[in-house]
Amino acid sequence: MSIEITMPRLSDTMETGSILKWNVGEGDSVSAGDAVADIETDKATMEMQVYDDGTIARILVPEGQTVEVGTPIAVLAEKDEDPREIAAASAPPLEPAPAAQEPAPAAQEAPAAAPAVPAPDPTASAPTPATAAPVPAAGAERLRISPVARRLADEHGIDVSLLQGSGPGGRIIKRDVMGALEAGRETAAALVPSAAAVAVPTTPVELSPAAAVPPAGVRLEPGLVPLSNARQTIARRLVESKTTIPHYQVTVTFNVDPLLDLRRVLNEQLAAQGVKLSLNDFLIRGCALAIHQHPEFNASWAGESIEIHGEVNIGIAVALPPERGGGLVVATIRQADRRGLREISAEAKHLAQKARTRGLTIDEMAGSTFTISNLGMFGVDHFTAIINPPNSAILAVGAAQELAVVRDGQIVIGHEMSATLSLDHRIIDGATAAQFLVSLRQLVENPATLLV
Amino acid sequence: MARIIEFRDALREAMSEEMRRDPRVFLMGEEVAEYDGAYKVSRGMLDEFGPRRVIDTPISETAFAGLGIGAAMMGLRPVIEFMSWSFSLVAADQILNNAPKMLYMSGGQFGCPIVFRGNDGAGGQLGSTHSWCVESLYANVPGLKMAIPFDAYDAKGLLKTAIRDDSPVFFLESERLLSIKGEVPEEEFVVAFGEALVRRPGTGCTVVSFGRPLYFCLEAATILAEEGIDCEVIDGRTIRPLDLAAIVRSVRKTNYCVVVDQSWPFASVGAEIAAQVHKACFDDLDNHVVRVHSDDVPAPYSYDLEQQMLPNTRKICEAVRSVTYNA
Repeated sequence: MSIEITMPRLSDTMETGSILKWNVGEGDSVSAGDAVADIETDKATMEMQVYDDGTIARILVPEGQTVEVGTPIAVLAEKDEDPREIAAASAPPLEPAPAAQEPAPAAQEAPAAAPAVPAPDPTASAPTPATAAPVPAAGAERLRISPVARRLADEHGIDVSLLQGSGPGGRIIKRDVMGALEAGRETAAALVPSAAAVAVPTTPVELSPAAAVPPAGVRLEPGLVPLSNARQTIARRLVESKTTIPHYQVTVTFNVDPLLDLRRVLNEQLAAQGVKLSLNDFLIRGCALAIHQHPEFNASWAGESIEIHGEVNIGIAVALPPERGGGLVVATIRQADRRGLREISAEAKHLAQKARTRGLTIDEMAGSTFTISNLGMFGVDHFTAIINPPNSAILAVGAAQELAVVRDGQIVIGHEMSATLSLDHRIIDGATAAQFLVSLRQLVENPATLLV
Repeated sequence: MARIIEFRDALREAMSEEMRRDPRVFLMGEEVAEYDGAYKVSRGMLDEFGPRRVIDTPISETAFAGLGIGAAMMGLRPVIEFMSWSFSLVAADQILNNAPKMLYMSGGQFGCPIVFRGNDGAGGQLGSTHSWCVESLYANVPGLKMAIPFDAYDAKGLLKTAIRDDSPVFFLESERLLSIKGEVPEEEFVVAFGEALVRRPGTGCTVVSFGRPLYFCLEAATILAEEGIDCEVIDGRTIRPLDLAAIVRSVRKTNYCVVVDQSWPFASVGAEIAAQVHKACFDDLDNHVVRVHSDDVPAPYSYDLEQQMLPNTRKICEAVRSVTYNA
């Protein structure tokens, strides 16, 4: 009779345990008393022993997986049994319930044309955070969801990675989606009045029904979130950037009333052609033009020299949805100084959309010489960004806010937008940075100059 | 004007009306004439139509099936009765090689407007050799049509259509249904092939079946309604041609599907329908299609064992609960 090994209750209060490490594999012989796995509990990491002699026929729960006490985690074949027969007869290995742990990036959709790149060569000019190539990493699990549940979630804009599946193996089924929809409807209705208090963002914030207040009595799901190689690489590069580049910040506030007016006029005229310019599009152009007057902003640290680049390629930071692994990538708009607003706008939209769906190619992510990160659409006032190597600077843009401002010695209502440069002090000093911002401000506050 | 008559009477009326209407139609089989039919389906027909049109045969299925096929090829419209579809196995070469393929093999020169009919499925302790459900075996063959009536009304309407159809039709009755009474109009009517019927409308789970198991499905639906599961029971009526559109319409509404097929599971009509539903309704399904069949064993002789082997009400209830995640 084969023996089912279940997650043991290693402490009184233990309800779930994580298999940190299996010390045995399928086919290994064990004796009573052997420590076969390291289990992490609510209190500590402890060894799990087997109490019988036999052979490990099947491992049902892999490393890194959290399960409830009592869940079968392995099957032991006794001395007179054939482990392979026992393995064949036992249930297939448990795949992690995806709603309990964030699914690793890009597991559901086939990767785009992006080649399978692990960590890029650090000396290459490819930007750091942009190496989030949309390739399923080792250990990425497929979300378990029924076809109709997926379709309903898509139709109603519900984020399936936030759902707890009640079907077999944690499968998300129709009632889970309908439940989230109902819950979202109730809380969204309650949230609506406060939405009006948010400052004017550059693009309107849509309240996702899934971003609801959790029902009373519900706890967070503890567990380990496996990170893809891409995400680990981004992490490494961010630390490298922040710790090796001497960062400092310079902030400026723009009067964006002229820009908002110009944008409105242009969008009205171009609506029929399907063009909708965003504030960020103007900023991309503005930065590209300002860089021409301040070439250190188009440079890279080269150890014993500073390399000034010929092309002005502006990188734009794009936030990825959880299904694509979360985090952010930088899409590159090449030669932004030589392209018009309309072209920049179309390119920015196209790249952002592609990044969120099929993922970007290495080419689309590489080669930026300056990066813009914009959190204005989320209503953020002001923030600082981490330089995207090998750039020399990054511009962090906040929301255009309606404030009481001073114009011509009078207090009036106006719109102002904060922008903060993070700079590499080895390449750009404070005075240079200030001058760049003066140029940028000239352009932004006289936006007609961005059109020529 | 509808009257209440038995399923067997409905069959007889269909045959008699068609024989009156078309002199080419005749009935042939074991005990159909002098004995009034092994199950009294053809009672009185010998008296009305005479021995040239209601013909007793020796116990030789290959011979009289082949005779019928030859007659059909030459322009007559035979109705060949098998005392049980189990016996059709003896005539398999005739009914599978000759009848459905004749039009094709003769390059269009000879059709085969023949109807083979008889009792299909468990008859009640008839043992493993006499309890065949042949639908899954034969439905695989291109060139034939297959109908399987649920009640007296459909028995008459489908049999008339079968006799008028120029294709060979396999008409699957059930010994257990012959005494079932139902309302059947006196006026002329037919039931078309390829049009399924919703026997019980519902919104919670689609249950598709043919013939006798539908009675178990309806019983299960009543039980499940008490549990809050509202089944929609669909009578496919004809296996070939299959009214997939009706099933798809239902599954798009309910998101769950159970197929109940009295034949054995492997390579069955149930498997075929499940495959077609998976393909057509992939984005509408909340769970895979669940099939209920007779157990994969030869039909037992013992009464209790036979009842447990069938796709009975208990199994259908379990299937519906399972597919709707209410197990």
